[in-house]
Amino acid sequence: MKSPSVFLAILLILPAFARAADVAELWRERLKSVVAVEFFTETELDRRLSFAFATVVDDQGTIILPAAAISGRATPAQLKDFRIYRPGEPASNFSVGEYLGQDLYTGWHFLRIEEKGRAGLVPVTAFAGATATAPLIAEEIFGIGLRKKDEDFAPYFLTGRVAIVQTIPQRTAVTTLEIASPGLPVFTRDGVFAGLGTAGFGQSYLMFSERTRGGQGVVLVNSDECAAFLLADEILPHLGRIPTNVLGRPAPWLGANGLEPVDPEVAKFLKLESRAGLVVSEVLEGSPAEKAGMKERDILLEVDGVPLPRLKPDGAVVGHVEREIDRRAPGEVMKVGVLRGSERVTLDVVLEDSPPSPREVERKYFEQLGLTVRAFTYADGVNRRVKVADHAGVIAHFVKPSTALTTAGLRTDDWIKEIDGQEIKTFQDAAAKLAAIEQDTAKTEYVLLASRGGETAVLRVKLK
Amino acid sequence: MLSTVRSIALRALFLLLGLAAVTPLTAAASRGFNQLLDAVVRIDVREVAFEDGSRRFTGGVGSGVILDAEGLILTNAHVASPRAVEISVTLANLERVGATLVGWDHWTDLALLRLDLDEIKRRGLKFSHAKFGDSDRLSPGQTVFAVGTPHGLTRTVTRGIISNNRRYFEDNTGVRGYETGSFNTWLQTDAAINPGNSGGPLVNEKGDVVGINSRGYVGADNLGFAIPANTARRIVGELTRAGTVTRSYIGLVPGVLRDLENFYSLELNTGMLINSVDPGSPAARAGLRGGDILLAINGNKVDGRFPEQLPPIQNQIASQPVGSALRLSVKRGAQTADYEVVTEQLVSRVGEEWALDKWGLSVRKVSRTYARENQLPDDTGVLVIGVQPGFPAAVAGLSRGDIITKINDTPVASLESVKTAHAAYETAPAAVLVEARRNFRVSLYVVKP
Repeated sequence: MKSPSVFLAILLILPAFARAADVAELWRERLKSVVAVEFFTETELDRRLSFAFATVVDDQGTIILPAAAISGRATPAQLKDFRIYRPGEPASNFSVGEYLGQDLYTGWHFLRIEEKGRAGLVPVTAFAGATATAPLIAEEIFGIGLRKKDEDFAPYFLTGRVAIVQTIPQRTAVTTLEIASPGLPVFTRDGVFAGLGTAGFGQSYLMFSERTRGGQGVVLVNSDECAAFLLADEILPHLGRIPTNVLGRPAPWLGANGLEPVDPEVAKFLKLESRAGLVVSEVLEGSPAEKAGMKERDILLEVDGVPLPRLKPDGAVVGHVEREIDRRAPGEVMKVGVLRGSERVTLDVVLEDSPPSPREVERKYFEQLGLTVRAFTYADGVNRRVKVADHAGVIAHFVKPSTALTTAGLRTDDWIKEIDGQEIKTFQDAAAKLAAIEQDTAKTEYVLLASRGGETAVLRVKLK
Repeated sequence: MLSTVRSIALRALFLLLGLAAVTPLTAAASRGFNQLLDAVVRIDVREVAFEDGSRRFTGGVGSGVILDAEGLILTNAHVASPRAVEISVTLANLERVGATLVGWDHWTDLALLRLDLDEIKRRGLKFSHAKFGDSDRLSPGQTVFAVGTPHGLTRTVTRGIISNNRRYFEDNTGVRGYETGSFNTWLQTDAAINPGNSGGPLVNEKGDVVGINSRGYVGADNLGFAIPANTARRIVGELTRAGTVTRSYIGLVPGVLRDLENFYSLELNTGMLINSVDPGSPAARAGLRGGDILLAINGNKVDGRFPEQLPPIQNQIASQPVGSALRLSVKRGAQTADYEVVTEQLVSRVGEEWALDKWGLSVRKVSRTYARENQLPDDTGVLVIGVQPGFPAAVAGLSRGDIITKINDTPVASLESVKTAHAAYETAPAAVLVEARRNFRVSLYVVKP
């Protein structure tokens, strides 16, 4: 820790920055709340190395990573070898981390550091203020940046001022300059925990296209540092949401698909005054929303009697409703007020645990064939406009490039309905059939019936 | 630069115009050939386009051939379509005469025009006409000539041979966004064919029309394609009689059986593979599905082993009267069974277009075929194909690709209902609530003055 003291010494001889010494001390003390995380994502063909930064949230070695740190396509089983590094320490010293899962509501990935690696860590809650106060415009905020592994994740100081505080739908402050690496804490001038650096990995939600409804993000630069942070009161109450399983279950589900914000002109036309509303594009088959009687084109106006907030951009209201669902548990009743034609209707929706997602269902890689298949899920049915009664077959989750399969025309995400003329009903059907093909050394070809975009095709796959 | 070249170079293919051959002594000396030259015309078309949210006029030039003394002219569907507002024909004697569209058929890329005979008579003009040859008797290597107006160069004759007399070529957007080639094969020739040759005749040494030049590969040397005369003769009959060609549809997407006979335990040259069945189509309702093998239609065996064998089979189905019941013999696994399928009328994926000028919006009716292709529940709605920046539709947030399903409280069942709403707006501009879907997401927009 030689260089920080040199830094300190230089600052101390400058009287004009007398108080900066305090900040440096505060900053150094708060380094104990941050770590760097290394992990691998293993797929059929490769083993991809990733890094992310995490904040310590309790004294049990629990740390949180931002949602974007881990690809949503990766399954928990594909995530391997989590290693935890301390800022500025030799990268040869690391401890092991265990992946606990992702919390749906906050999006955070939770990890736990092995016991011997917890010494000296201080949870960020130790720096929380007595009362949560929103930062003021122009208030100075400082935070922590971490360099890359080849520089031992050396910490560096970042600071900026609050430019604006927005609700999108989480309370988020945008700063004049970058103030932290993604996922790392920021603090007020007095060292009080102010929030977590966010919008890294592209800072995607900071800018919205004026022309696109629903707030399509415009990707910005600097994925290493953020110039925005989620306020402390969006963080502190939720740190206990540690998943009890790696899949983050249960996951509450409403089943109202394609919520599209109503813009102010439309609201005025519909005599909704200045209220926010969301058009329900689709009510999913068998969903809680359908059971409660929700209809396509209902305009959602209220949740539990509370009008949807008018957030800007309009698309932020969609996020608000999603969070209203996510913060509840399956079995809870959500009272949803909608406008149907000119009539106001209130629906009591009993939330349910959502159907298994593609990440969760069975899958298997057939190495000789260069094909991973996975079970057909509810979401696959929604995307392909297939009724639940017709759910069958398997999805080609991965097709190895430059193989007989790609020559035959199969692509990732194609829906395999028949193998060698036999209708595939379940994942087990497909797995058994493909295993048999793989083992039959005399076989020269096999035939798939695959569907893409609602059209099927017979594909002949040569084995020799 | 002659700048009248049509700008319809579609994808890898461009559309061509006619040509005439003047070369070898045999042809030049032939009376029939000289008569043919006098029957080839240049066609200038002014037409309306509904793009970018407004009605605009564009122009193009192509070729054609006069078929009879009544002044019927055969050309390509991509030269003259129902969008034409003014058609002007330049005869062999360089006189210009007006013409009208009799009918068009994008599936075969053919259109039929009629010369303004009153004008001909009034001005005392004369013209010659050509006669069809038998395209089934063409053989690869045989000399042919193309006559037409390549790049605006009127009365150009080029010479080549029949390179292939049964070329399979199907394109879902091949004739200005319309489907083509599902029901016929093509003649391939190395006679030079360029943009502007479109609609001109491909002829033999006697001057008999054996094909109508239509398209060529861009960037290739002399790979040109023509509609066979025997297809053209049949289409001309239909267009003369009804102004349109009505076809039957059952919803099969064919595939080739080549190399799959063993898998399906079939004798060689037996059956046609059904790759896919359009959802909701007559065939789907009858219970057919992808992977089935079609063995016979009404007892007539089919053979779809190779791609060029598919259009005749498709044509066999299409040629049945709409609403007729077909008995399809189908093999599925080891079982063979007959299915009765009642045909419905074939419609293009491209519906009628219109521009709603006050809103700055161009739209195209969603057709049954478009709805099926895009997995829409039905053919309600119009597709936005253009918006004019700064106009009410654009300001409201509508954009290309949206499907307008409702205006105020009225579902958009036809193009007419949109025109009506727009006319009301024109008379008394007031805010209109528009419901539109995009990728299955439904949004509301207020279009207002």
